[in-house]
Amino acid sequence: MPNYTFHARPIFAAVALAATSIAAPAPVHANDLLVAPTRIVLNGSRGTEVILNNIGTEEATYRISLELRRMTADGNLEEVEIPNEIEEAAVEMIRYAPRRVVLPPNQPQAIRIGVRAPDALPDGEYRAHMLFRAIPRPRPVAEEEPQPTQGFNIRLTPIYGVSIPIIVRHGELAATAAISDARIVRDNDRRAISFSLSRQGEQSTYGEVIITKPGIDIPIVRARGIAVYPELTQRTVTLPVNEAFEGSLSGPVLIQYREIESDGGRLLAEARTELR
Amino acid sequence: MTKLFKTAALSATAALALGANAAHAADATATATAQILEQITVTRTSHLNFGTIVPDTAASGNVTVAATSAGTRTCDANLTCAGAASVSSAAFDVTASAGSTVSVTGLTGLTQLTSGTDTMAVSLAGSTLDLSLGSDTLYVGGDLTVGANQPTGTYTGNFTVSVNY
Repeated sequence: MPNYTFHARPIFAAVALAATSIAAPAPVHANDLLVAPTRIVLNGSRGTEVILNNIGTEEATYRISLELRRMTADGNLEEVEIPNEIEEAAVEMIRYAPRRVVLPPNQPQAIRIGVRAPDALPDGEYRAHMLFRAIPRPRPVAEEEPQPTQGFNIRLTPIYGVSIPIIVRHGELAATAAISDARIVRDNDRRAISFSLSRQGEQSTYGEVIITKPGIDIPIVRARGIAVYPELTQRTVTLPVNEAFEGSLSGPVLIQYREIESDGGRLLAEARTELR
Repeated sequence: MTKLFKTAALSATAALALGANAAHAADATATATAQILEQITVTRTSHLNFGTIVPDTAASGNVTVAATSAGTRTCDANLTCAGAASVSSAAFDVTASAGSTVSVTGLTGLTQLTSGTDTMAVSLAGSTLDLSLGSDTLYVGGDLTVGANQPTGTYTGNFTVSVNY
């Protein structure tokens, strides 16, 4: 058996609930959900838990499934149609239960997650995405539109949910990152900074990006959860500039890519560059 | 047991801070451990609704609802569009830690609506989610292709929206 160490977060958790204020009239909130934490890394055979909470106003039935997602060169995730060997192995080794739960409003449920790695598993990082979503219920009569005397009605039912990555690391893995090609762009009518983030090694990199200008205390860009998954050696990162910063973007900047504290807080990559 | 601290805080950041205080307030002689987990919530606040559409007898036409807060409807000239008051884009409030990065998938899966044996082509699109302040609304709009003499009825379809961390 490989010598496993356990790096996933402890199970017992206080989850703070952010209640959204809702303008009157209060809508019926069926199928709404909260999921915590938002990323899981398993370094061994011991498991962990994810909390699913029904934050709607009605009882809902949730289904929990393992899905596959791949990162594209612009950092978006896309659904996988034909899984490769690594993805198939990930789905096979990640065990979880329950897979279907009925929850009354404000009732949390822990989903237990574990790994059973096959004996001859090659070293590497294996990843699947755990999808939580409610099974839609027929819409109540009050929400139905009156049948028109001519023409037609459209009724679209959303099936919505959240997915979080479940990452299994097997063996001694490492990765390095580098930043290049930083430039000023516009993204959805906002000022943004774009750069290339390259990755080398057997595992993903994950962390926070902070961009500062000399002499200005507050970062002009701060973004968490920036990942480069192993299927990529390079991706583009485009991040909106803090709207509170009204000065010129051109000139020298410091771009830092840093691991989150629970992963060690290491500086993954740093670049001093001139924006124009 | 897992304990949930329910707060009325408006932002995820404020809620997390409150949770941390509650944990520290535990009896000093007891061993109290509480880890604040990063969380994500998704709440649907409106449905995608195209209103009432009367097809043309001669040619097909398109009706779009914009993936914006207003959900503005655009109707080809040969179609008659009514029921403007009920027109809306679908809206999903997403909250997470400030500065989080998420990616939305699933919207392109729906291409056709059905009413019995009748069908109608549809494509959906979503707005961009910016969670730099911790919360944002994902708006979903769509484009319907209404055939000439499209039969009356109620056309239904399911679409999926996955907010991927």
